[in-house]
Amino acid sequence: MPLALIVVLILGPLAITLVVSFWQKVGFSMRPAISFENYAAFFSGTRLNVLLRSIWVGVSSAALMLLLAYPIAYLIATRLRAGLVRPVLFLFAVPFLVNYVVRTFSWSEILSRTGSVNTTLVALGIAERPLDWLLFSDFAVYLGLITAYMPFMVFPIWLSLSGIDRRLVEASWMLGEGPFSTFRRIVLPLSMPGVMAAAIFGFVGAFGEVAVSLILGGTGYQLLGNTIQSALNTLDYPLAAAISSVATILMLALIILWAQIFDLRLLLGKIMGRT
Amino acid sequence: MTAKRGKLANALGWSLVALVLVFLYAPLVPPAINSFRDVGNDGMFANYSAILSDGRLMAAGRTSLIVGLLVALISPLLALLAAEVVRVWRIPRLVLGVILIPLFVPGISMGVATALFFQTLGISPSLLTITAVQVIWALPFAFLIILTVMANFDPIYREAAYMSGANRIQAFFEVELPQIHPGILGAAIFSLILSFNETIRTSVVQGGQNTVQTYLWSQYQQVGLSPNLHALMTILIVATLLLLGLLALLDARQNRL
Repeated sequence: MPLALIVVLILGPLAITLVVSFWQKVGFSMRPAISFENYAAFFSGTRLNVLLRSIWVGVSSAALMLLLAYPIAYLIATRLRAGLVRPVLFLFAVPFLVNYVVRTFSWSEILSRTGSVNTTLVALGIAERPLDWLLFSDFAVYLGLITAYMPFMVFPIWLSLSGIDRRLVEASWMLGEGPFSTFRRIVLPLSMPGVMAAAIFGFVGAFGEVAVSLILGGTGYQLLGNTIQSALNTLDYPLAAAISSVATILMLALIILWAQIFDLRLLLGKIMGRT
Repeated sequence: MTAKRGKLANALGWSLVALVLVFLYAPLVPPAINSFRDVGNDGMFANYSAILSDGRLMAAGRTSLIVGLLVALISPLLALLAAEVVRVWRIPRLVLGVILIPLFVPGISMGVATALFFQTLGISPSLLTITAVQVIWALPFAFLIILTVMANFDPIYREAAYMSGANRIQAFFEVELPQIHPGILGAAIFSLILSFNETIRTSVVQGGQNTVQTYLWSQYQQVGLSPNLHALMTILIVATLLLLGLLALLDARQNRL
């Protein structure tokens, strides 16, 4: 029973959104219909460009996040003595849990023309005048996205790395494989469930972003979340629903693909215990 | 030769970790510094006392607290029920997957979806809708935390309780709960932290209400950030850090026992 309530509370809204996405906007209200005009409005003109850009920013920033999160998770899983694992993981959880809009405001202060980075650079004579590309730029947006979503990606990767049976690694050594090929042929493939789960998390976060792109990218910098926000601002709920549905369906497709390749219970094996 | 290279690689790796941590923690500092600027002659804490006399802000603060406490109460309970069901009845992983979905839906999409859901049900924006959207957000985390604690609970104790004549409910309250309650408390604190961490989903479903977090967000979009908003951000950061400290303390004590 409570499980049914939870399922309804999660799936119900997503299903209704899909329904509303076919409705029509009438004035400030909407009326039931089966119309594809919201999708047509989304898949054309500037909104299509925003979609394509969001996919590119999502993929590239998720790749950068993985490049950072993987070595971190690997070091924590393999090079740290048992007693230190939890404290170090905790260090990565803390910034993730502080309100990320507030953290993004902070970045805009740090990176602004009069912010601490620019004043330091000018004071030290490294830059003659404040750097303009620090804020309202791709650099700022990527920095904001990476610091917002990367910390959480360490956890699933660490979870699958720490679940690897050490004997497989030792067996590979005994069969004469070097450390690099052992990593490439044993450790990396076995950690893929965590890596791909983390990648999806990072991609979806960046793809549907609202705050980072607005605060650090400037008003012209639009990601998918911003188009949903502007549809909401004009009370165009059917359009917002259509864009949301595209984002959700894309995400569900990725998750289902993931579940086809990997077993969730394998990744959560340690957590689920003896079930 | 390889040992030396290995050491060098290790050192490089840990420097990367340290550098990343500097970048992750840097944003926690500026609000505190800015909150003590532009205070004029009204004393160090002028921006903080200005919050107290701002009616809208105080109302937003109350909403944040009430919603936070409700989320901290409801999420762990739902998560506990879900975790029990998953463990006892061996529910297929599909259900497990559904609970984790909110982790992967963009915040604003989940906000739009929840807003439309309540609109369809004829429920107008209120504390209830704000709480619901935040419970959905906190649930996957609370669920994973409680599953972790439950994994450390050996089901043989429950079997023993059954054999001593306890029914399912007695076995849960008298045998299992005493062993897993620190995990439930942890999930509650975590849910409260996640409630403080939430802005975007809430801003879509709140209607006329405001939480501190959505107030900051709408002020930024309308007029920009003023000094007392920096004070507000500082309070939010400090509250989160205190709660995290509590969580760490709880965890350390649990591990020592």
